[in-house]
Amino acid sequence: MSEPALALFFTGLLLFMTGVYLLLGVRNLLRIVLSVEVLAKGITLMLLAAGVYRGAMGLTQSLIVTFIIVETILAAVMLALVVICQRTNASLDIRLLSRLKG
Amino acid sequence: MTLLIGCLALLVLSVVLLGVLRDLLYAAASLAAASVLLSIVLFQFGANIAAAFELSVCAGLITVLFVSTVSLTMDSDQKTEAKLPAVFLLPMLALFAGLAYFLVHWLAGALPTPATQVQALTFQEAFWGQRTTDILGQISLVLVGVFGLLAILRAKSTGRNHE
Repeated sequence: MSEPALALFFTGLLLFMTGVYLLLGVRNLLRIVLSVEVLAKGITLMLLAAGVYRGAMGLTQSLIVTFIIVETILAAVMLALVVICQRTNASLDIRLLSRLKG
Repeated sequence: MTLLIGCLALLVLSVVLLGVLRDLLYAAASLAAASVLLSIVLFQFGANIAAAFELSVCAGLITVLFVSTVSLTMDSDQKTEAKLPAVFLLPMLALFAGLAYFLVHWLAGALPTPATQVQALTFQEAFWGQRTTDILGQISLVLVGVFGLLAILRAKSTGRNHE
């Protein structure tokens, strides 16, 4: 692997692990959304590293664009849930999320 | 290469700030900064369209959504949030860096050299020609997002009517 691809993959892996650590360590729903975004940044970097390694940037770009759309929809739905959870429980604690009723 | 390393180091720094900062608005600003840095990295490798998407959608739209949600929820649980993850973030980051270095070192030796004749497609050819199924998936996802939001917000208003 070339040096830029290695640097991208290293940073992507580092961000992914940090995102998982933050995701497991926090209880605030808004911080959980932030942690998922950190995970997504790591995944985007790893996709880019794969594209640099293979030399196929067109395909990589299309995959990254698809992933960005997935990330955005996920963030929008999660943030809507956060607002509803706050209005229902007056709290952003994830342990109270089960109190939401359909 | 120096610019790339600098951008990646700043990206990691902004993620560390995101984990350490107590104020969620500052954390959202750190996330936006991380998105801007990621789009610079994408620009460096010629992924211009992906970089523009990252800049406009992630650094713009998601940050606006996040800041709006913070203002709507008034950040009520800040004081009850555990401080432990933020305190141990830097040691864990060092541990993760060691682990990632080991994995990357192993991967560099394990992966075969890529074929010299890689079919170099443009973004348009790859997106509209090869990944047509992805477009259907994206449309489905957007619809899922829209209907999901409608269902969540409608359920809340129905609940209010019952009250």
